[in-house]
Amino acid sequence: MTDNKGEVLLRVENLCQYFGPTKAVDDVSFNIHKGEVFGLVGESGCGKTTTGRSIIKIYNITSGNIYFKGQRICAGVRSYREAIKEARKEMKTCKDENRLEELKKIIADNNAEIKKARFDHKYSDREYAKRLACETRADYEEKIKNASSQEEKNKLAKAMKTDLRVAKKTKLITKIQMIFQDPIASLDPRMTVREIISEGLAIRGIKDKEYIDNKVFEMLELVGLVREHAGRYPHEFSGGQRQRIGIARAIIMEPELLVADEPISALDVSIQAQVINLLNELREQLGLTILFIAHDLSVVKYFSDRIGVMYYGNMVELAETEELFAHPMHPYTRSLLSAIPLPDPRSEKKRTRIIYNPLAAHDYSTDKPTMREILPGHFVRCNDAEEAKYKEEFGI
Amino acid sequence: MDNILEVKNLKVSFRTTAGTLKAVRDISLDLKRGKTLAIVGESGSGKSVTAKAILGILAGNTIIEGGEILYDGKDLLKISEEDFHNIRGDKISMIFQDPLSSLDPIVKIGRQITEAMLLKSSTNRRVAKKEFNARLAALKKNMYAAVGKEHTGEVDEQLKTFKRFCIESNHLENSYNLAHSNATDLHGLSDNFLFLAEKNQHIDVRKNLSDFRKRLGKIDDRFLTKGYKDRMNAISEELSRAAAGYNKKENKTEASVEAVKKLEELTKELIESKRPDFFSIGYYKLFDQSANLDLPTEELNNKAQAFIEERFLKKFGDSEKEAVKYSFERALKEKKDVIEKLKTAREFFSTDFTKPEAKKTAKALYAEIDESIDELEFIKDSRAYTFESALDNAINRYFYYLKRNPKEEARFARQSAKRERLIARGRTVTWKVVPKVVYPKEELSGNIIQIIDRMSEHYENQIASSGEIDFDKRTNDLTNHFKKTASGIVYRVTKGMAKEKAIKLMDEVGIHEPRLRYNQYPFEFSGGMRQRIVIAIALAANPDILICDEPTTALDVTIQSQILELINKLKAERGLSIIFITHDLGVVANMADDIAVMYAGKIVEYGSADEIFYDPRHPYTWALLSSMPDLDTKEKLDAIPGTPPNMIYPPEGDAFAARNKYAMKIDFEEHPPFFRVTDTHYAATWLLHPDAPKVEIPKAITDRIRRMTERLEGGEIK
Repeated sequence: MTDNKGEVLLRVENLCQYFGPTKAVDDVSFNIHKGEVFGLVGESGCGKTTTGRSIIKIYNITSGNIYFKGQRICAGVRSYREAIKEARKEMKTCKDENRLEELKKIIADNNAEIKKARFDHKYSDREYAKRLACETRADYEEKIKNASSQEEKNKLAKAMKTDLRVAKKTKLITKIQMIFQDPIASLDPRMTVREIISEGLAIRGIKDKEYIDNKVFEMLELVGLVREHAGRYPHEFSGGQRQRIGIARAIIMEPELLVADEPISALDVSIQAQVINLLNELREQLGLTILFIAHDLSVVKYFSDRIGVMYYGNMVELAETEELFAHPMHPYTRSLLSAIPLPDPRSEKKRTRIIYNPLAAHDYSTDKPTMREILPGHFVRCNDAEEAKYKEEFGI
Repeated sequence: MDNILEVKNLKVSFRTTAGTLKAVRDISLDLKRGKTLAIVGESGSGKSVTAKAILGILAGNTIIEGGEILYDGKDLLKISEEDFHNIRGDKISMIFQDPLSSLDPIVKIGRQITEAMLLKSSTNRRVAKKEFNARLAALKKNMYAAVGKEHTGEVDEQLKTFKRFCIESNHLENSYNLAHSNATDLHGLSDNFLFLAEKNQHIDVRKNLSDFRKRLGKIDDRFLTKGYKDRMNAISEELSRAAAGYNKKENKTEASVEAVKKLEELTKELIESKRPDFFSIGYYKLFDQSANLDLPTEELNNKAQAFIEERFLKKFGDSEKEAVKYSFERALKEKKDVIEKLKTAREFFSTDFTKPEAKKTAKALYAEIDESIDELEFIKDSRAYTFESALDNAINRYFYYLKRNPKEEARFARQSAKRERLIARGRTVTWKVVPKVVYPKEELSGNIIQIIDRMSEHYENQIASSGEIDFDKRTNDLTNHFKKTASGIVYRVTKGMAKEKAIKLMDEVGIHEPRLRYNQYPFEFSGGMRQRIVIAIALAANPDILICDEPTTALDVTIQSQILELINKLKAERGLSIIFITHDLGVVANMADDIAVMYAGKIVEYGSADEIFYDPRHPYTWALLSSMPDLDTKEKLDAIPGTPPNMIYPPEGDAFAARNKYAMKIDFEEHPPFFRVTDTHYAATWLLHPDAPKVEIPKAITDRIRRMTERLEGGEIK
């Protein structure tokens, strides 16, 4: 799948996440562009949370690749292993010399891929830190060269030392931060708000107390709390305020991608609007990119630029928000959209839900479905017959 | 209007270390029979507390300061825990908000769903028997009086017969219902089998076929399978032949599909066959020696109906009607007397009185009221039945607070003095004085008088409308009530039935492979799945009133609308009345007939769903409506600033004033009364006062209403 809109910040390729026999996520691919909000919807258990968690490396993915800022951060090996297995099986019966050579090459290639994947998976942070440290050093050396006095040079050298330490300890993965669903369970009740928010900085190796305090105050004010709150404990706050603390904890690491896993489902109505407005403001101020996982379609529509619809571990439809709501193609998307309750009693009384039964809706016995682009930027999981049908419906 | 549940002036507070938290402050609600009342508001507004008060499951530190909850001739705030056992779960059931804490972690799901069914099976029968006998005794008494002394023997005979064949017909009906539901299940399964076979999906043919055979054997009722026996046997044999001939390797399913097709047709015919009239057939079977029950259903129905009409119903119906009439007239006469008595009592309570005197007067009054109750009225007169407990309570409160008030005053004075002393000494005082709770004597005796006034007003209304009573309808209702309770007496739930029902319920609420999951523990389910289990448990008991406390908040849209559809379906089928608590206005629009918007323990707006959505009047309702995006929202959301007030120190005036951009000076000083918009629509905001300035409804809402009406007129909605 290719998109031609802006820089790609996160690329997910053929992501599979299996838990034993359960295929939680099966072959999901999508791109997230810099500065956009990408909504992920689907019913509970369809793998949207698992996708989000795989991205921040809470799980080791089964197969597929995840690229973040061009660097591969996650890689699974199952697909390579299976290729090797196939090849070995064939080798047992194969008599043709040329074919045997070919197979041997396949095995060797795949083994190399596995090695590479393991390396990237384990050392992506180190590689990134190395790169960052090099850049920082070059930057400072340039500055020191141009400095006029010895005093200034010393000062710069000292600053370089601190920054280098930070750069060496920087992990690429900290540029992806997560906001959790439950604002109560996700905050440690025995830590003060200052400790909670600054924990990431401490782990990164910053010891300057003044710097930390200033940073915490700045974040608190950014999310609409006040400095005085820093010394308090989570239980002294209401649900909405706690969610703000969770957001402050995420953005203090200056992330580029925010994975928001149902950040408002556990909140009160009036507070939900406050949090959505806050996320919108932060997005504008900090230029954040957000992966927004939710099941409330009205909110997702309001908040996201593009939406991916998931069903049982598969991505079934992906399009820009307006496009998706105007021309839903996949029967599951249609059923999902028909289920949205609206604050309008008269039309609610008439609304009929479209029931989606995958067995009745598709015939995949011979022709397996894949993601295909029906309209520009509008992808649907379908097979040849269905593709023709969709195209006909929209007069292409 | 016919209200199944009435909440009147309910006040609930919680005792906490910081002071009394006023959770519910004087609310009144009516739940109409077969309708849905939605209570909307944010957390802490007291909606869950109201629901819990109805179920009598408030926490230990609760103080119920006043009010009544009337249901089925009882005041739920005053009945004993013993009595509550017969109501909770059976009559009023609740779907809880938190699926984590409302399931027992160490008991399997299946047992949790069937537990109540099995446990209640015998209790229900006992309760139904008690009710049946009590009503029958009342009927007997009134029949005696109505027909005169010389015919008592005849009456005895009639009632004995009535009871006997009521029970007998229900035995027959029960067996029929069981077979019928088995047939329905089998039809669904065979349908599913054919669908899968058509789609070339993998099916375990042998297992399915043997299961079908077993189920076919369970469809066993002389009325349902009349004339089908041979066909059933033939199909059973064909199924067994198909199973034997099935070869897994070749996977040829033609023979089995053919057999199942026949099975599907048969079950369909069975389900749609005419229902026998068991009420008549029971009598026919018992009292006609030459009764032939194997006639075709239609003929049997006609014959039985003619037989019972001639031999029993004509006579019995007449005397029953006489009795109903007599009972009503007797009660009416008593009521006229009671009104006089109430007047004298009112005078007595208006002056000063001592405790023994008051008790004596009240006791005399209770006896009079008891006399004046029409025992044969099908719907119990709640006000009359609860008069005793209400008045007793008010009198006790009167004397309790007479004693308590001076103590409370003293405490408040002492603490305030201490605070001032400390401040005078220049110390910083961080604590506040807990506000005093004092009830003036006039208010307390006013309460008593109010109860008496309401009672006499109620009776006066009844006397005024006494000319319009339709005795035929009353008699009919009474007979139907007897039939219903009789079915309660014979309905016995076995373990197997409970399991089947539980699996069906699990399937209905959208749990895949219910048979497998029946034996799992709660921790093996996800949050959404657990919520569905909780819903299944609540629905299992077949309640009169269902209280749903944010039942779908944790679920995603498809399941949410599936469950709402299920609740709506049950509402239509069983005449369920529902109290629906939520903060999602989209859900409310789908479900509610009436809506109460609550804020800080008070109802701020009350009206029908159309009125609240198309003509909202209270600024809080506006804020709620405009703070959530719908599918057309593009502009910035109007979030409600701040958080709800601390209800230990409830604010003066309108509690919403501090967060309200339309607040006026008076909002901070005095609480607005309810202003009437229409007969069903009320709002408590000073903006509706004639002197108030004109305020425009926020644009987001007017836009939305405009869009909605346009869409409706444009016929865009299919």
